Amino acid sequence: MTKVNELLEQFHKVAVSPEEQLKSYLSQGRKVVACVPVYTPEELIHSMNLVPFGAWGAEIEVREAKKYFPAFICSILQTTLEMGITGKYDGISAIVIPSLCDSLKCLGENWKYGVPNIPFIPMTYPQNRNNDNGRAFTKAGYLRVIDDLEKITGKKFSEAELAKSNKVYNLHNQAMRRLSDVLVEYPWISASQRNDIFKSAYYMTKEEHTTLVNQLMDLLLEMPKETSNMKKIITTGIIADSRDLLTIIGENDMQIVGDDIAHESRQYRTDVNESKDALEGLADKFSRMDNCSVLYDVDKKRGDYIAEMAKRTGADGVVVVMTKFCDPEEFDYPIMKKKFDAAGIPSVLIEVDMQMNNYEQARTALQTFKDMLN
Amino acid sequence: MKESYFLGIDIGSTTSKCILLNSQREIIGSSLVSAGTGTTGPQKAYEDILEKANLTAGDISFTVATGYGRIMFTEANDEMSELSCHAKGVHHIFPDVHTIIDIGGQDAKVISINDAGKVINFVMNDKCAAGTGRFLDVMATILQININDLEIHAREAVRPAKISSTCTVFAESEVISQLSSGENVNNIVAGICESVAGRVASLAKRVGIKEEICMSGGVAKNGGVRDAMSKSLGAKLQYSPKAQYMGALGAALFAYDKLNI
Ligand code: SF4
Repeated sequence: MTKVNELLEQFHKVAVSPEEQLKSYLSQGRKVVACVPVYTPEELIHSMNLVPFGAWGAEIEVREAKKYFPAFICSILQTTLEMGITGKYDGISAIVIPSLCDSLKCLGENWKYGVPNIPFIPMTYPQNRNNDNGRAFTKAGYLRVIDDLEKITGKKFSEAELAKSNKVYNLHNQAMRRLSDVLVEYPWISASQRNDIFKSAYYMTKEEHTTLVNQLMDLLLEMPKETSNMKKIITTGIIADSRDLLTIIGENDMQIVGDDIAHESRQYRTDVNESKDALEGLADKFSRMDNCSVLYDVDKKRGDYIAEMAKRTGADGVVVVMTKFCDPEEFDYPIMKKKFDAAGIPSVLIEVDMQMNNYEQARTALQTFKDMLN
Repeated sequence: MKESYFLGIDIGSTTSKCILLNSQREIIGSSLVSAGTGTTGPQKAYEDILEKANLTAGDISFTVATGYGRIMFTEANDEMSELSCHAKGVHHIFPDVHTIIDIGGQDAKVISINDAGKVINFVMNDKCAAGTGRFLDVMATILQININDLEIHAREAVRPAKISSTCTVFAESEVISQLSSGENVNNIVAGICESVAGRVASLAKRVGIKEEICMSGGVAKNGGVRDAMSKSLGAKLQYSPKAQYMGALGAALFAYDKLNI
C-alpha cells in the first residue's frame, strides 16, 4: 500500500509542477518541444531524441494573451499563449500547434508574434483523413514538422528511430487503456489521483511513464479488488483536470469508470500498425482515429461510442465537462445528448474554464445529478 | 407521544426562507428574511420560524439546508441541492407538474421531473445576470420603480419594447436609450419582463417542455414575467403564491424522509 501511495504521490508531483520537469530535462541537456492539443505527432518528436512536452494551458490569470485573443477563445489556448508570453516555456526549442480547430489556427498565428523566441511549427491535418489522399496529406504535414524540427534543433530524423518510437508509444497506449479498466476495481483511488496519472504523461517521457503506470497496475492487482456504492460515471470533454471539479466529483461519491476526455483516454485509443513503414504507419494511425469532436465524422458516432462505454463499464451516468467557448465540443453536445437520452443514460453538463474560481454552480449541478442517479 | 418537527431552510443569494413541517407533513410555519448567504439572514430566518412556532432548536428532529449558502449553515443535519429540493417542493404542491422554471435572485434553472417527482433532467443558466432576479433589480433601479410594481406596469403596456436578452449591461444601456427616446415606461417594463422570460424560455426548451409547467423562485412572484413566460412557451403556467418557499418546502420534506423512510 505504501508503495502504491508513493507512486500516486509521484504522479501527483509531476502533474502539478510541470515547470520542475521542464527544468530537469533542460538541465540534463535535453531539447524539449511543446505539444499543443488536441493531437500532436509526439512520436516524431520522440524519435528525434527530443522531449515532447504537453502544453494544455494552466489555471492562471490571462493578461498578456488578451492582446492577441478576444474573450471568446477557450481558456486552454488563452493560458497556453499567456504562459508563452510570460516566459514559462523559456528554454523550449519549438512548439508544434496542430490545426484541429479554428481557435488553434489563431493560436499558431498569434504565437509567432507573441512568443517570437519559441519557433512555431504548424501541423496541418486533413479534414477527410481516412482515405489515401487524407493519409498522404497527413504524411506531408508530418514531413513539414520533421523538416522544421531538423532545422530548429539540428537533430536528424530516421525511419528506423521512428519505428522504435512508435513501439514506445504503442506500449504506452496499451498501458493507459489497461489502467483505465484496472482503476475501476479500486474505487478508493480518487478522481484527482486518476487525473494525476493521466496528466503526468504529458510531462514525462513515455518510457518513464509506462514503467510507472505498469508498476502501479502490478501493485494494485496484488491487492484485493473492491466494490463500492459510489455512483459510476463516464466523463467526456476536452480536459477535466480542475482540482476543484475533481474534488467535487469525489465529495459526491462518484467514481470515474471510463472517460472520453481528449486530454486523457482519447489520446490512447489507436495504435500505430507496426507492420507498416514507420511514417506511413503514423499517418495511418491518425486516419483511423475517431469519436472525437475535432476529428471530422459525418455520422457523428461519438454519442453512441460513449453510450456503449457506459454500458460496458456499468456506468450510471455521463458527466459532460464542457470547456467554455470550445466550438467543436459545443457542436457535438446536442447530438450526444440525444443519444444518451435515447439510450436511457442520465447525463449532466458542467461548463468549465481555467479561470474559474467559483465552482458552486458545478457543485450544485453534480449534487443534483447524484440525486438523479439515486 | 412527543410531536416531531422537520425544518427546511433555503439560503439563496438574496433571501433566506424556512418551512416547518409536523409529523403529518403539514406546513406549520414559514419565515422569510430578505438577506441571503453570507449575511445574518439565514440565522434570523431560522430563529424567526422557531420563535413563531414556540420551539427551540432541540425540538427539531431533522433539518435540511438547501440553496447557495447551504454548506455554510451549521445548524442543519444535512444539505441538499436546491434543484432536488425545488423539485420535491413543487411536486408536493402540484403533483401534475413536469417542468419547473425556477428564477432566483442570481440564477435560473429549469428542472424536468417525472410522475414521481424525481429530477430527470435540468439546466442552469451561466454566470450572466440576464434572465435572473438581479436583472430585474438593476432595471427597476434605472426606472426608479419599486420591484414589486413591475407587474402593474407590465400589464398596462400596449406594445412591449424590444430589450436585449443576452446581457444585463447591454440591456441597461438599451433601457436608458429607450427612456431618452421617450418610450413609455410601461412598454419598457413589459420589454424587460419579456427579456427575462425569453432568456429562461430558451433554457427551458433545451430541457424539453412537458406540461404542466410551474414557475417557482422569487421572480415567479412577478406577474409580468409569468405572463411573458407563458407567451414565450405558448403554455399555461402553474403558480403558487408560496413560490419562493418551494426550495425550503422540498428541504423540509427531505428532512422528513430522512427519519421516516
Ligand atoms: S478543440 Fe476546443 S478546447 Fe481544444 S483548442 Fe479547440 S476550442 Fe480549445
